[in-house]
Amino acid sequence: MAERIDKISSGDVLKSPAVALVAGTAAVAVEGGKVAARLVTSLPVVGPWVRRGVSELTARGDQVIKQGLDPARELLTAVVVQVIEHVLAELDLTALVREQVDIDAIAAEIDIDAIIDRIDLVGLANTVIDGVDLPNIIRESTNSVTAEVMTDVRSQGERADDRVAGMVDRVLGRSRSRDGAS
Amino acid sequence: MALAEPDARPAGIVSRGLGAVIDLIVVLLVISLLYVGLILARLVYSPAAFRLPDVNAVFSTLVTFAVAVLYLTTCWAVSGRTVGHVTMGLRVVGRRSLRVHPLVALLRAVTCVLFPIGLLWVALDHDRSSLQDIVFRTRVLYVRPV
Repeated sequence: MAERIDKISSGDVLKSPAVALVAGTAAVAVEGGKVAARLVTSLPVVGPWVRRGVSELTARGDQVIKQGLDPARELLTAVVVQVIEHVLAELDLTALVREQVDIDAIAAEIDIDAIIDRIDLVGLANTVIDGVDLPNIIRESTNSVTAEVMTDVRSQGERADDRVAGMVDRVLGRSRSRDGAS
Repeated sequence: MALAEPDARPAGIVSRGLGAVIDLIVVLLVISLLYVGLILARLVYSPAAFRLPDVNAVFSTLVTFAVAVLYLTTCWAVSGRTVGHVTMGLRVVGRRSLRVHPLVALLRAVTCVLFPIGLLWVALDHDRSSLQDIVFRTRVLYVRPV
């Protein structure tokens, strides 16, 4: 029996004569119920009473569903959220994406031009420049270059002074030991 | 910046000559600015009858003399350094003090403007003094950053 059950797939079960028999019986019962309800509701004295009872039962059912649906939905949502959080905590999503997703293929399809069009490049450049403090860098580099040039000019002038003084001393036959000059 | 250390050496003819040339350029720039200012003032106050001002030679010479003397006197009396001296790393000092008395600065400026050839004595003098330095007992020294 167990082997037989194992062999029966879901499609085979639906095609079984027993299932068809049960389904046909249920359909006949439903149809009979409908006919019976129609007959009862059409009776002269009992009909209105039955229809009123059905209406009251329907209203009561709607009320019960409305009262019970929201708490049930909240409870279900909380449970589902907790389950998902637990699953996500257990999973190593980074490794999972790295193994299962072809990131290169996704990156190849990205429209970089569209992204750049959406970026305020001028504003971005201004932000970067504000952060870099460009005026201070220019000021420091300019000062450094200016100081080097000034020092060089002064040194050259001093050497030229000594050279001229040496020439004059030689012409006049003076000692060259004055002022510490060479 | 170490200003005129006790062992500072007196400056030679090349440094002082280049400093003087730079100062001459500064004076000419100031005179040019004054001239442009005069032109703009005339243009503002009488635009209809505007024409370039006639520059009298004597007046121009007097203005140049005045600007040069004022410039040199102020710089030497305040800091002992003109623009040319700052550029070449020089400073004018008194014989016994780092400061130059304003009257000495004025007289030195007048003689330097009237008799600039006195600077050439720096090349010949044993102490590298110009004729103005000898007369007013001043010196021009190298100033080097520490």
